Amino acid sequence: MWRGFLHLLKKDFRLMVSGKFFLLALLSLILYSCYINFVYANLDQQIYPVFVYDPQDKLPAAREYVTRLDSREALEAACADQYSVGIDFSHAVPELYMLSCGMETTDHYRMAWGEAVLHGNIDGRAERIGSDNKEMKNRREITAEFLFFELTAVGFLGLASMLFKEKQMGVIRVHGILPVCRPVFILSKLLLLLLSDLVFTLLLTVINLGAAEAVRVLADVLLQAGILSLIMALIGFLCAVRLPDFKQFSLFYLILAVFVTTPVFLAGQTGMKGDWIVYHPMYHLFEAMKGAYFSAPITKVSFYLTCFGTMILLFLLSWQTLNHEMAKEG
Amino acid sequence: MIEVRNLTFSYGKDKQALHGLTFSVKAGEIFGFLGPNGSGKSTTQKILTGILRGYGGTVSLFGDDMRNAHTQAFFQKIGVLFEFPYLYTNLSALDNLYYFASFYPEEQRRDAEELLNELEFKRDFLKKPVSSYSKGMRQRVSMARALINNPRLLFLDEPTSGLDPAGAVLFRKIIEKERKKGTTVLLTTHNMLDADLLCDRVAFISNGNIAALDTPKNLKEKNGNRSIVIDYLYQGKREEQTIEVPELKAGIPFAYDELISVHSQEPTLEDMFIQYTGRGLT
Repeated sequence: MWRGFLHLLKKDFRLMVSGKFFLLALLSLILYSCYINFVYANLDQQIYPVFVYDPQDKLPAAREYVTRLDSREALEAACADQYSVGIDFSHAVPELYMLSCGMETTDHYRMAWGEAVLHGNIDGRAERIGSDNKEMKNRREITAEFLFFELTAVGFLGLASMLFKEKQMGVIRVHGILPVCRPVFILSKLLLLLLSDLVFTLLLTVINLGAAEAVRVLADVLLQAGILSLIMALIGFLCAVRLPDFKQFSLFYLILAVFVTTPVFLAGQTGMKGDWIVYHPMYHLFEAMKGAYFSAPITKVSFYLTCFGTMILLFLLSWQTLNHEMAKEG
Repeated sequence: MIEVRNLTFSYGKDKQALHGLTFSVKAGEIFGFLGPNGSGKSTTQKILTGILRGYGGTVSLFGDDMRNAHTQAFFQKIGVLFEFPYLYTNLSALDNLYYFASFYPEEQRRDAEELLNELEFKRDFLKKPVSSYSKGMRQRVSMARALINNPRLLFLDEPTSGLDPAGAVLFRKIIEKERKKGTTVLLTTHNMLDADLLCDRVAFISNGNIAALDTPKNLKEKNGNRSIVIDYLYQGKREEQTIEVPELKAGIPFAYDELISVHSQEPTLEDMFIQYTGRGLT
């Protein structure tokens, strides 16, 4: 069995090379790293400007971050950008004035910031979590997101396109009459893709977090990357064998990208988060990946048991689908 | 070598593909399965090669029940030529053969280059990718793949399809050579010429049933028309007469000056197939 396994590995490796799988992974690595290092790491959000209309000088002293305005009209004009925060002291009770940006969470942050500035309590009430500076926080955040994207979408597509080639050539059927266990046909692809994804994870993490920080999180990150890689590879295998042609697969891929990956990104990256997101399985994998990068790995046994169970189920389905494909007419 | 009793198979409700086939194949025999598309030939071959399971009845190969035969030892003993040449198109003929051969024990493997040479494969293409090959060349590589492990039982599905007449003759010679070595061959085809020239016995299969099973000669003799058509010249005129074989005992029973040709009216296997099944082979 193992002699056959080694030959399958060698053949799959050659297919991956001829399909430019590694070249694409290298290009992705370069592209992500350039973006992280030259753009995202230095990104910073502008502080919400706070404008005050205070005709009776109720605000005791000049405050940092506060700009005084002469009229209510000027206050409203200044806050028309849906970003600034306005405070009107012309009434008995100060009134907060701001136009909603459309996201409840962000509006809440704006309001909290306006109140903090008003009460002169900017530094004291914030709880400090971890020891990251702003740049390292950015690096961890975006590296986790890029890795999640690479493993769910790009890696999945890589394995599926390789398998589609074998399917079109009809050679999958030949393996049905070779003296080799059929599950080994799946295992060799999984192992190669897993190794490739782990190397990609290692390089992406070391390049973008730096060697010292990478060493601290690498064990957890590799574990999450391994889980995600295996689950996505098995889904890719299943779809590529099950779906009759690449057109249908492309449609499925689009659905996966739009309905599976996008909500997870929106929930992770923006304030758009519905209660339903907790029922989205990929969201938990995404959160686990982020947790691993922020040295807060998931420790729930139920999470790992569910992942393991999913892998076993997907493997059995893939095996059954492979048997079905081998018995198909030419 | 092969014993099949009451073999049934269904692809689902109302899709009964085989309705209780019974036949046996002796060691060293070339056994032909003759039938049109959708008759159940390929389904039977898939069951015998271990690709399809969930069948009814009993099937034994090499003396073992097929249900227990899905082992590496079983697959080492068989060679299969599929209807289409399934090969890695990004690899060369040699790389394909080295890859597929690598699953068999070293002492069992045949030399890939020698095998391709025997199949008259163009040497210039040995290291070129299969994607640049013609259909006939791909079929040659596929045949080499089926023979690479020196199989004791060879399954051939439409072996001469995609070959030019010279290629078809060569393939028949190769199959004959395998028989002489003692290899048992199960030939699945709707090419009556292949079946007629190669097979020791043929089974006519139609709608999942065996309609007739015998040697090609017996099938034709049992049901054939025993008449002879004679073309001749008499008094300067060309004429033709049909007579029954027994009439020849006393010589040609009519006057003639010169015989031009004598044709027996032996039917073809296809004629016999139509007679037994009521439908053609294509």
